[in-house]
Amino acid sequence: MKNRIRIERAIKEITQAELAGRVDVSRQTINSIESNRYIPSTLLALKIARVFGKAVEEIFYLEDSDQ
Amino acid sequence: MRTNYLFPFNSRYFGIGLILIHIPVKLLWDASYPGGYAHQNSSSDAAGSFLFSPPHLFFIGTTLMVLVGLFLIAFSKEKVEDEQIIQLRLDSLRWSIYLNYAILLFSLVFTRGSDSHHILLLNIWLPLLFFIIRFQWVLYRLNRSAQSNDTDTHQ
Repeated sequence: MKNRIRIERAIKEITQAELAGRVDVSRQTINSIESNRYIPSTLLALKIARVFGKAVEEIFYLEDSDQ
Repeated sequence: MRTNYLFPFNSRYFGIGLILIHIPVKLLWDASYPGGYAHQNSSSDAAGSFLFSPPHLFFIGTTLMVLVGLFLIAFSKEKVEDEQIIQLRLDSLRWSIYLNYAILLFSLVFTRGSDSHHILLLNIWLPLLFFIIRFQWVLYRLNRSAQSNDTDTHQ
């Protein structure tokens, strides 16, 4: 599973630390998700999508290998 | 909100303190009563007062100090105890159980007599020690990769 968090952050001009604070996780966790090293839970994915005001599918999407 | 049954963040310092206090106490005891626990205990056992004998009480006291210390270090919360940390914690716990049982099975096959007694004593604190080392190692790697990603982004 991949994501567009880095792009969305750049659009919204928020740092990893700010996003982490808004969804109650550590900055390292946001970093791991952006680098595709950690797949967040549904709850965290929903929270992140809400910060950007978008649907989860617009932030997170499946790769060919996941299907 | 999920309950994670962990101790507060600062309790790790109390745990480290207990282990540090235990070291000079143990060294002083060993200097005062040479011969080791088994030797001291066997003599008291013969007298029939094993449970309240000073060597046994000392053994229980120091073992409890180390165990409680390791327990507090292993199971105190991180500053931000989020879902990734919980996953790393469970992963480390699984590895420590695997490793501990591998050593236990190996020891059961290849040791006998008083050696197997020592292996059982080791098993009191070995899983906790494995868990702490593995968990701290993955946290260290997580922080390092986050820092290196920051450097890449800023370049």
